Amino acid sequence: MNRGVMARTVGELRRPAIGWSIAVVGVSLLYTAVYPSIRSSADTLQAYIDKLPEAVKSVIGAEYTTPAGYLRSELFSSLGLILFLIFAISAGSRAIAAEEERRTLDLVLSTPVRRRTLIADKALAIVGVTFVLAAMLFLATFAAGPAFDLSMPAARLVGACAMLALVAIAFGAIALAVATATGRRVLGNAIAGGAAAVAMVVNALAAQVPALRPIRPLSPFRWYLEPDPLTHAVDPANLAVLVGVALVAFVVAAVAFERRDLSA
Amino acid sequence: MSVAPVIEADGLTKFYGRNRGIEDLSFRLEPGEVFGFLGPNGAGKSTTIRTMLDLIRPTRGRIKVFGLDTRVDGAAVHARLGYVPGEFGLYERLTGREYLDAFASFRGGGGAARIDELADRLTIDLHRRIHELSHGNKQKLGLIQAFMHEPDLLVLDEPTQGLDPLVQQSFFGLIDEARARGASVFLSSHVLPEVERVCDRVAIIREGHLVSVSDIDDLKAAALRRLELRFDRPVAPAVFDSLASVVAVEAHGDALLLTIHGPVDEVIKEAARHTVVSVASHEPSLEEIFLHIYRDGAQA
Repeated sequence: MNRGVMARTVGELRRPAIGWSIAVVGVSLLYTAVYPSIRSSADTLQAYIDKLPEAVKSVIGAEYTTPAGYLRSELFSSLGLILFLIFAISAGSRAIAAEEERRTLDLVLSTPVRRRTLIADKALAIVGVTFVLAAMLFLATFAAGPAFDLSMPAARLVGACAMLALVAIAFGAIALAVATATGRRVLGNAIAGGAAAVAMVVNALAAQVPALRPIRPLSPFRWYLEPDPLTHAVDPANLAVLVGVALVAFVVAAVAFERRDLSA
Repeated sequence: MSVAPVIEADGLTKFYGRNRGIEDLSFRLEPGEVFGFLGPNGAGKSTTIRTMLDLIRPTRGRIKVFGLDTRVDGAAVHARLGYVPGEFGLYERLTGREYLDAFASFRGGGGAARIDELADRLTIDLHRRIHELSHGNKQKLGLIQAFMHEPDLLVLDEPTQGLDPLVQQSFFGLIDEARARGASVFLSSHVLPEVERVCDRVAIIREGHLVSVSDIDDLKAAALRRLELRFDRPVAPAVFDSLASVVAVEAHGDALLLTIHGPVDEVIKEAARHTVVSVASHEPSLEEIFLHIYRDGAQA
């Protein structure tokens, strides 16, 4: 680790981190605050949902009668998840590729800072900020919940927030690998973002489409959401899979970076 | 020479796909030497330098800095090196001081103490955000980060681009100081007077090949110079044509246009026998030196 690189990277991420924290807390408070009115009409809503075809239901994943079900369908597998994914993927794509595209990379690497140190420090900073966002999500949801009939056991909520951070970090690492290997931020965003979209759809539809079942384990969301971290203790195997995906993608990124000719 | 060279390139070759960047470059930079690397744009100067810094990897051959392989011992090499790229970006949101402090900390603190002094000499306001700065001021930040830790080797790729003449003088002062404390300098340029001003030896590169490596004095002596002498009345070209250093003479009314190879002394003495109205000297362009070197086939 190089202290200068770490300070610089954290400095760079500070502004986006503040913005994303506000977004995450805002979304959490919004969903928490509307829970009472959703819940009062939950029976009607649930009756309506029950009539939907199974496939549609599984995509929405809707189950509004319990706090955990509500948080899962509205926050942890939809908007909240998407916010975390966008943050991690765009940070992963930027980390090295933006420096290369803006021609700031040559100068950094002309100092004693090595390529592997640079990419490791940047990855570490992104992981840190993602967990800060997860902590923000936890605090907002946990603190505001009881006022709106949305009490959650702290342990479950911590587990779910941590798993959310990890699945986002896994895709952020994929973005880092693609963007760093190609030197192009847009490719990192496109490929990691596309992969996340496909993986999300595969995971959601697999419940109803038997043909998709064999490939469902390829979707990181399968390991994030089954069993539901909001109702179950975090499964160590699931945790290991998400951490493993992130580590493999990071190693690919670091090796590709080490071997490449950097563009001028 | 028994002292290990600061830079040693041996058959250095870089292809980009099928396009040649540089081919079979071999040269040495001796300790304490200021080495010019001269060539037109696109000749392969930046390719050579970026290979030296391990930013790109050679297709064949190798280049060692301080006797070390930069691929393996990059940190050790770069700790003793300062680099100004031909084109570079800066962290636009930072102020100049924040930027330079960041670079000092990348180096584990090296050079922070000299930032103010260098900023003073190059006349740059470090409180302003980088995105507000002119190209010349950004170039100054590039120079300061390269010089501030007093490295043993400076690798400078077209460092005077965008600098006004006064600042260029300050830059030459920095080079002289670096030389005085024993540092070596690898200076790429396409401007001959700049190389002449500071370098001991110069390598000329053209279309990816090293054309010549020579002492700057030899190169200057080898170069053709043009001298336009205007007299108060027409003077017969023949009196100049017979001088040893004069290659060609053209008469244009009261003026003679002389092409000179070597010392101009006897030409001036001959001219002084007439009434000289004006003298205009034309320094040879790089292209003219190239042509001359190629024609003689010398010094390769």
